Amino acid sequence: MQITTEELADGITRVALDGRLDIAGAAAVDLKMNIIAGSAKKLLVDLQKVTFLGSMGLRSIVLPARAVHSRGGKVVLFGPDEMVESVLKTSGIDSLLPIHHDLAAAIAALQ
Amino acid sequence: MSGETAAKSEPRLTIQSRLDDLALLWPWIESLSAENAVPADTQFAICVCLEEALSNVIRHGYRDQPGRPITIECAPGTDELVFTVEDQAPAFDPLAVAENAPGAAPASIADFPLGGRGIRLMRKFAGSLAYQRLPGGNRLTMRFTVQR
Repeated sequence: MQITTEELADGITRVALDGRLDIAGAAAVDLKMNIIAGSAKKLLVDLQKVTFLGSMGLRSIVLPARAVHSRGGKVVLFGPDEMVESVLKTSGIDSLLPIHHDLAAAIAALQ
Repeated sequence: MSGETAAKSEPRLTIQSRLDDLALLWPWIESLSAENAVPADTQFAICVCLEEALSNVIRHGYRDQPGRPITIECAPGTDELVFTVEDQAPAFDPLAVAENAPGAAPASIADFPLGGRGIRLMRKFAGSLAYQRLPGGNRLTMRFTVQR
Protein backbone atom coordinates (compact mmCIF):
# COMPACT_ATOMS: atom_id res chain seq x y z
CA MET A 1 0.00 0.00 0.00
CA GLN A 2 1.46 3.32 -1.09
CA ILE A 3 0.41 6.76 0.04
CA THR A 4 1.36 10.06 -1.56
CA THR A 5 0.29 13.59 -0.82
CA GLU A 6 0.03 16.70 -2.93
CA GLU A 7 -0.90 20.23 -1.98
CA LEU A 8 -3.40 21.69 -4.43
CA ALA A 9 -4.63 25.26 -4.74
CA ASP A 10 -6.93 26.78 -2.14
CA GLY A 11 -5.46 24.80 0.74
CA ILE A 12 -6.60 21.42 -0.53
CA THR A 13 -4.54 18.38 0.42
CA ARG A 14 -4.80 15.46 -1.97
CA VAL A 15 -3.84 12.14 -0.46
CA ALA A 16 -3.62 9.31 -2.96
CA LEU A 17 -3.79 5.69 -1.84
CA ASP A 18 -2.45 2.94 -4.08
CA GLY A 19 -2.94 -0.75 -3.45
CA ARG A 20 -5.06 -2.97 -1.24
CA LEU A 21 -6.67 -1.30 1.74
CA ASP A 22 -6.97 -4.54 3.67
CA ILE A 23 -5.79 -5.02 7.24
CA ALA A 24 -2.13 -4.91 6.21
CA GLY A 25 -2.70 -1.95 3.93
CA ALA A 26 -4.54 -0.09 6.67
CA ALA A 27 -1.67 -0.67 9.08
CA ALA A 28 0.76 0.64 6.48
CA VAL A 29 -1.01 3.96 5.93
CA ASP A 30 -2.73 4.71 9.26
CA LEU A 31 0.10 6.69 10.82
CA LYS A 32 0.66 8.88 7.79
CA MET A 33 -3.08 9.34 7.24
CA ASN A 34 -3.48 10.48 10.83
CA ILE A 35 -0.57 12.91 10.54
CA ILE A 36 -2.05 14.38 7.37
CA ALA A 37 -5.48 14.59 8.97
CA GLY A 38 -3.95 16.37 11.93
CA SER A 39 -3.32 19.48 9.88
CA ALA A 40 -5.44 19.29 6.71
CA LYS A 41 -8.54 21.43 6.50
CA LYS A 42 -9.66 20.32 3.06
CA LEU A 43 -8.82 16.71 2.37
CA LEU A 44 -9.33 14.97 -0.95
CA VAL A 45 -8.86 11.22 -0.55
CA ASP A 46 -7.93 9.85 -3.96
CA LEU A 47 -9.06 6.22 -4.19
CA GLN A 48 -8.50 5.71 -7.92
CA LYS A 49 -5.74 3.17 -7.38
CA VAL A 50 -7.25 1.37 -4.42
CA THR A 51 -7.87 -2.18 -5.60
CA PHE A 52 -9.48 -3.53 -2.43
CA LEU A 53 -11.32 -2.10 0.55
CA GLY A 54 -12.44 -4.13 3.55
CA SER A 55 -14.06 -3.11 6.81
CA MET A 56 -10.69 -2.63 8.51
CA GLY A 57 -9.61 -0.38 5.69
CA LEU A 58 -12.73 1.71 6.15
CA ARG A 59 -11.36 2.78 9.51
CA SER A 60 -8.33 4.21 7.76
CA ILE A 61 -10.66 6.56 5.95
CA VAL A 62 -13.16 7.26 8.72
CA LEU A 63 -10.75 8.10 11.54
CA PRO A 64 -8.75 10.74 9.62
CA ALA A 65 -12.00 12.16 8.27
CA ARG A 66 -13.26 12.50 11.83
CA ALA A 67 -10.15 14.44 12.77
CA VAL A 68 -10.57 16.84 9.86
CA HIS A 69 -14.30 17.29 10.51
CA SER A 70 -13.67 17.91 14.20
CA ARG A 71 -11.70 21.02 13.26
CA GLY A 72 -14.39 22.24 10.93
CA GLY A 73 -12.70 20.89 7.81
CA LYS A 74 -14.07 18.95 4.86
CA VAL A 75 -13.29 15.56 3.34
CA VAL A 76 -14.31 14.13 -0.02
CA LEU A 77 -13.61 10.76 -1.60
CA PHE A 78 -12.50 10.69 -5.21
CA GLY A 79 -12.54 8.08 -7.91
CA PRO A 80 -13.20 4.70 -6.27
CA ASP A 81 -13.74 1.82 -8.65
CA GLU A 82 -17.10 0.09 -8.72
CA MET A 83 -16.37 -2.53 -6.05
CA VAL A 84 -14.63 -0.12 -3.70
CA GLU A 85 -17.55 2.27 -4.08
CA SER A 86 -19.92 -0.58 -3.29
CA VAL A 87 -18.10 -1.15 0.00
CA LEU A 88 -18.28 2.56 0.80
CA LYS A 89 -21.99 2.71 0.04
CA THR A 90 -22.82 -0.51 1.87
CA SER A 91 -21.09 0.86 4.95
CA GLY A 92 -23.14 4.04 4.73
CA ILE A 93 -20.12 6.33 4.90
CA ASP A 94 -21.07 7.92 1.58
CA SER A 95 -23.83 9.81 3.39
CA LEU A 96 -21.16 11.66 5.36
CA LEU A 97 -18.21 11.68 2.97
CA PRO A 98 -19.32 12.54 -0.55
CA ILE A 99 -17.97 10.43 -3.39
CA HIS A 100 -16.97 12.14 -6.61
CA HIS A 101 -15.69 10.78 -9.89
CA ASP A 102 -14.93 14.14 -11.43
CA LEU A 103 -11.89 15.89 -9.98
CA ALA A 104 -13.27 19.36 -10.56
CA ALA A 105 -16.45 18.43 -8.73
CA ALA A 106 -14.46 16.93 -5.88
CA ILE A 107 -12.43 20.10 -5.53
CA ALA A 108 -15.54 22.27 -5.76
CA ALA A 109 -17.11 20.26 -2.95
CA LEU A 110 -14.22 21.21 -0.71
CA GLN A 111 -14.61 24.95 -1.22
CA MET B 1 11.12 -26.86 -10.78
CA SER B 2 10.45 -30.27 -12.22
CA GLY B 3 8.68 -28.98 -15.28
CA GLU B 4 5.45 -30.67 -14.27
CA THR B 5 2.14 -28.90 -14.47
CA ALA B 6 1.83 -26.38 -11.65
CA ALA B 7 0.34 -27.96 -8.56
CA LYS B 8 -3.21 -26.98 -7.74
CA SER B 9 -3.83 -24.89 -4.67
CA GLU B 10 -4.55 -26.70 -1.48
CA PRO B 11 -8.29 -26.62 -0.83
CA ARG B 12 -7.60 -25.88 2.82
CA LEU B 13 -5.66 -23.10 4.52
CA THR B 14 -4.92 -23.05 8.23
CA ILE B 15 -3.82 -19.84 9.90
CA GLN B 16 -3.12 -18.83 13.46
CA SER B 17 -5.23 -16.32 15.34
CA ARG B 18 -3.13 -13.28 14.51
CA LEU B 19 -4.31 -10.47 12.28
CA ASP B 20 -0.92 -10.58 10.55
CA ASP B 21 -1.77 -14.10 9.35
CA LEU B 22 -4.58 -12.67 7.22
CA ALA B 23 -1.86 -11.77 4.71
CA LEU B 24 -1.78 -15.49 3.87
CA LEU B 25 -5.29 -15.21 2.50
CA TRP B 26 -4.38 -13.18 -0.56
CA PRO B 27 -2.07 -15.56 -2.41
CA TRP B 28 -4.35 -18.47 -1.57
CA ILE B 29 -7.48 -16.76 -2.88
CA GLU B 30 -5.66 -15.48 -5.93
CA SER B 31 -4.54 -19.00 -6.80
CA LEU B 32 -7.98 -20.49 -6.23
CA SER B 33 -9.56 -17.73 -8.27
CA ALA B 34 -7.21 -18.30 -11.18
CA GLU B 35 -7.79 -22.05 -11.13
CA ASN B 36 -11.56 -21.67 -10.98
CA ALA B 37 -11.89 -18.77 -13.45
CA VAL B 38 -13.37 -16.54 -10.79
CA PRO B 39 -14.15 -13.03 -12.07
CA ALA B 40 -12.33 -10.14 -10.40
CA ASP B 41 -15.48 -8.79 -8.76
CA THR B 42 -16.26 -12.15 -7.19
CA GLN B 43 -12.69 -12.47 -5.96
CA PHE B 44 -13.07 -9.03 -4.39
CA ALA B 45 -16.30 -10.15 -2.69
CA ILE B 46 -14.65 -13.31 -1.37
CA CYS B 47 -11.81 -11.27 0.08
CA VAL B 48 -14.17 -8.80 1.77
CA CYS B 49 -16.07 -11.62 3.42
CA LEU B 50 -13.11 -13.78 4.41
CA GLU B 51 -11.17 -10.85 5.84
CA GLU B 52 -14.19 -9.92 7.91
CA ALA B 53 -14.99 -13.49 8.97
CA LEU B 54 -11.43 -14.24 10.05
CA SER B 55 -10.90 -10.95 11.84
CA ASN B 56 -14.17 -11.60 13.69
CA VAL B 57 -12.91 -15.00 14.82
CA ILE B 58 -9.59 -13.53 15.99
CA ARG B 59 -11.01 -10.47 17.74
CA HIS B 60 -14.34 -11.75 19.04
CA GLY B 61 -14.18 -15.55 19.00
CA TYR B 62 -10.64 -15.97 20.32
CA ARG B 63 -10.64 -12.49 21.92
CA ASP B 64 -7.20 -11.77 20.46
CA GLN B 65 -5.69 -14.84 22.10
CA PRO B 66 -2.77 -15.76 19.81
CA GLY B 67 -1.78 -19.20 18.58
CA ARG B 68 -5.26 -20.64 18.04
CA PRO B 69 -6.13 -22.31 14.75
CA ILE B 70 -8.55 -21.18 12.08
CA THR B 71 -9.15 -23.40 9.07
CA ILE B 72 -10.56 -22.12 5.81
CA GLU B 73 -11.70 -24.65 3.26
CA CYS B 74 -12.76 -24.01 -0.31
CA ALA B 75 -15.07 -26.36 -2.19
CA PRO B 76 -15.53 -25.44 -5.85
CA GLY B 77 -18.91 -26.28 -7.32
CA THR B 78 -20.32 -26.07 -10.81
CA ASP B 79 -21.30 -22.45 -10.52
CA GLU B 80 -20.16 -21.48 -7.06
CA LEU B 81 -17.33 -21.49 -4.56
CA VAL B 82 -18.15 -22.49 -1.01
CA PHE B 83 -15.84 -21.32 1.76
CA THR B 84 -16.06 -22.83 5.23
CA VAL B 85 -14.33 -21.17 8.18
CA GLU B 86 -13.88 -23.29 11.29
CA ASP B 87 -12.37 -22.39 14.64
CA GLN B 88 -12.12 -23.79 18.15
CA ALA B 89 -13.36 -20.68 19.89
CA PRO B 90 -16.25 -20.38 22.33
CA ALA B 91 -19.62 -20.00 20.70
CA PHE B 92 -19.68 -16.92 18.50
CA ASP B 93 -22.29 -16.40 15.83
CA PRO B 94 -21.29 -13.41 13.72
CA LEU B 95 -24.67 -13.45 12.01
CA ALA B 96 -26.38 -12.85 15.34
CA VAL B 97 -24.39 -9.70 15.99
CA ALA B 98 -26.68 -6.74 15.63
CA GLU B 99 -25.74 -4.65 12.67
CA ASN B 100 -26.30 -0.97 12.69
CA ALA B 101 -29.84 -0.28 11.67
CA PRO B 102 -30.06 0.15 7.91
CA GLY B 103 -31.11 3.60 6.94
CA ALA B 104 -30.24 5.08 10.30
CA ALA B 105 -27.52 7.32 8.97
CA PRO B 106 -25.56 9.12 11.68
CA ALA B 107 -25.80 12.88 11.63
CA SER B 108 -22.06 13.40 11.63
CA ILE B 109 -18.94 11.40 11.09
CA ALA B 110 -18.20 11.69 14.79
CA ASP B 111 -21.24 9.45 15.33
CA PHE B 112 -20.35 6.98 12.58
CA PRO B 113 -19.77 3.67 14.36
CA LEU B 114 -16.53 1.94 13.46
CA GLY B 115 -17.89 -1.46 14.39
CA GLY B 116 -20.91 -3.29 13.09
CA ARG B 117 -20.20 -2.60 9.41
CA GLY B 118 -18.56 -5.93 8.74
CA ILE B 119 -21.66 -8.07 8.92
CA ARG B 120 -23.44 -5.67 6.59
CA LEU B 121 -20.60 -6.07 4.10
CA MET B 122 -20.72 -9.87 4.40
CA ARG B 123 -24.46 -9.93 3.76
CA LYS B 124 -23.94 -7.69 0.74
CA PHE B 125 -21.05 -9.55 -0.85
CA ALA B 126 -21.70 -13.22 -0.06
CA GLY B 127 -24.34 -15.16 -1.91
CA SER B 128 -25.36 -16.80 1.33
CA LEU B 129 -24.09 -17.14 4.89
CA ALA B 130 -24.74 -19.88 7.41
CA TYR B 131 -23.51 -20.37 10.96
CA GLN B 132 -23.25 -23.67 12.79
CA ARG B 133 -22.09 -24.29 16.34
CA LEU B 134 -19.76 -27.30 16.47
CA PRO B 135 -19.01 -29.41 19.55
CA GLY B 136 -15.71 -27.62 20.03
CA GLY B 137 -15.93 -24.57 17.86
CA ASN B 138 -17.78 -22.66 15.20
CA ARG B 139 -18.37 -23.03 11.49
CA LEU B 140 -19.29 -20.25 9.09
CA THR B 141 -20.19 -21.23 5.54
CA MET B 142 -20.14 -18.63 2.77
CA ARG B 143 -21.28 -19.29 -0.78
CA PHE B 144 -20.32 -17.21 -3.78
CA THR B 145 -21.93 -17.61 -7.17
CA VAL B 146 -19.36 -17.74 -9.94
CA GLN B 147 -20.65 -16.50 -13.29
CA ARG B 148 -18.05 -17.50 -15.85
